[in-house]
Amino acid sequence: MSTISAATRLAVRPSEGWARNLSILVLIGAAVALIGIFAAPDRAWPNVLLSTYYLISLGLAGGLFVALQYVSNAGWSVSFRRIPEAMTEVLPVTGLLLVVLFLGIHTLYEWSHEAVVANDPILHSKSGWLNEPFFIARSVFYLAVWMVMITAIVKRSQRQDASGDLELTRTNRKISAGFLVVFALTFTLASMDWIMSLEPHWFSTIFGIYNFAGLFLNGLATMTLVIILLKRMGPFRNVINDSHLHDLGKLIFAFSTFWMYIWFSQYVLIWYANIPEEVTYYARREEGGWGVLTIVNILFNWVIPFIALLPIWTKRHEGVLLRVCIFLMIGHWIDLFWMIMPPFMAKDPIVGLWELGPILAALAAFFLIVFKSLAKGNLLPVGDPMLGESLNLHT
Amino acid sequence: MSRRLLVSSFAHENDLLAATQAAREHGYTILDAYTPFAVHGLDKAMGMRSTRLAWATLILGISGAVAKLWFQIWTSATSWPVNVGGKPLKSVPAFVPVTFEVMVLFAGVGTVLLFLAMRKLWPGKKPAFIYDGATNDRFILVLIQDNASFVVEEVRSLFERFHLVDLEERIERV
Repeated sequence: MSTISAATRLAVRPSEGWARNLSILVLIGAAVALIGIFAAPDRAWPNVLLSTYYLISLGLAGGLFVALQYVSNAGWSVSFRRIPEAMTEVLPVTGLLLVVLFLGIHTLYEWSHEAVVANDPILHSKSGWLNEPFFIARSVFYLAVWMVMITAIVKRSQRQDASGDLELTRTNRKISAGFLVVFALTFTLASMDWIMSLEPHWFSTIFGIYNFAGLFLNGLATMTLVIILLKRMGPFRNVINDSHLHDLGKLIFAFSTFWMYIWFSQYVLIWYANIPEEVTYYARREEGGWGVLTIVNILFNWVIPFIALLPIWTKRHEGVLLRVCIFLMIGHWIDLFWMIMPPFMAKDPIVGLWELGPILAALAAFFLIVFKSLAKGNLLPVGDPMLGESLNLHT
Repeated sequence: MSRRLLVSSFAHENDLLAATQAAREHGYTILDAYTPFAVHGLDKAMGMRSTRLAWATLILGISGAVAKLWFQIWTSATSWPVNVGGKPLKSVPAFVPVTFEVMVLFAGVGTVLLFLAMRKLWPGKKPAFIYDGATNDRFILVLIQDNASFVVEEVRSLFERFHLVDLEERIERV
């Protein structure tokens, strides 16, 4: 018990300067994005979309991880459950960003132009689904459902700190099971709406799970990164041992390979069938600079993490794991860039001010929100019946 | 040839872990430990070096992948060229799924067979009798009495700190 009480008193206190620097980064990034929207809308809007989607992915991944742990009755992860819970706190901010995004709908989505749709039989036949009011309503609906369900789980988890009531765990397990089903359906549709409909003639039925693979891989990497940072800063020094790191490393390793598996599944079917309306997607991404980015994407999301995390010792090694996590966070940005940008950058991928500004703001906002949230309450879920099991994890 | 063994049994896995650690620190030679379920950390307490089986798995997997890739190119591009939808004969993406499956098959089955062979666990092998409770509720540590300075009573007093349940000497004919 001494470990538990000693650790809970250690709240995370991001120093004043630290929080201020992050806030400045958010402001700079947001200012760049805002100027970009007026100066170079064709480049700024897709990047605002990318950054919003990146943030939503992180928030959702946090909720998804917590729900998975509840559903599988997992004990090992209880000691750091506050990290994925804090990650879900970015979701309200993404609601704001989503509203901003609706202003750029005509720059982003070809199907939002009535004149184009009228002269395009394919888009015309899809207009029952792809039209502005329904698109906006759906987007709001997805985020609302996710937020309601995730908040229900997180609030119960926090309430358990004081009461230690076992019934809260049981209820959370039920909500989590429901959330997993709802998530699978809504996220598939959301990824199709927000990302796939950027190229509205193209379609892929595996697109939802491909996006889920990226979302969860990046979520695990970011969560592990925050955990290792907290271990280095102090609060988690006696909470996270190398068995926790080993398990996290195994999950990252597995989902990196899963991402590759799904990436290739999507590619090989389209390559095999060789139907013009499908192959245009890859034809565009195999030429010139985009072809290079395709390789880089695979290197960052699978080849490097796979080789780096193959031995046992690297999965238990803080430094190696931290570097792999950074690679994967950049990798997820590359993956989204690769999915979103080609319609807006005909020849080669360009990375400049308009590309870096929005993602800088998103990442800085993420860390600011997560650490502010962690500093608010207990860092350990002290009322959870499985906390002891997690603190004594040994594999 | 025969050797003298000292079989000690404990009622809890934490006692076994601590006793194993202590036995190693006192320089006793550990033959093996037997437990009803996998006890995490026992390998470290016993001072075992990590397994080389992972390397075998890696080599098996790579050879499976290479062999299958070569086989597919040989069958459908070299020996009997098959034109599928006008694609080049040596179309690697088409070969990837099968290559992947055979890699997993070689690595998986090969590792299991190699493990059984290394531990001499082939079919028809008679189970070695160690201790009655070893598959039920007892945690067994076996030491080898390999030098003259081995005093059973010293071991007993050492292990009693860890709630020793039973201690007995055995002579094993090798």
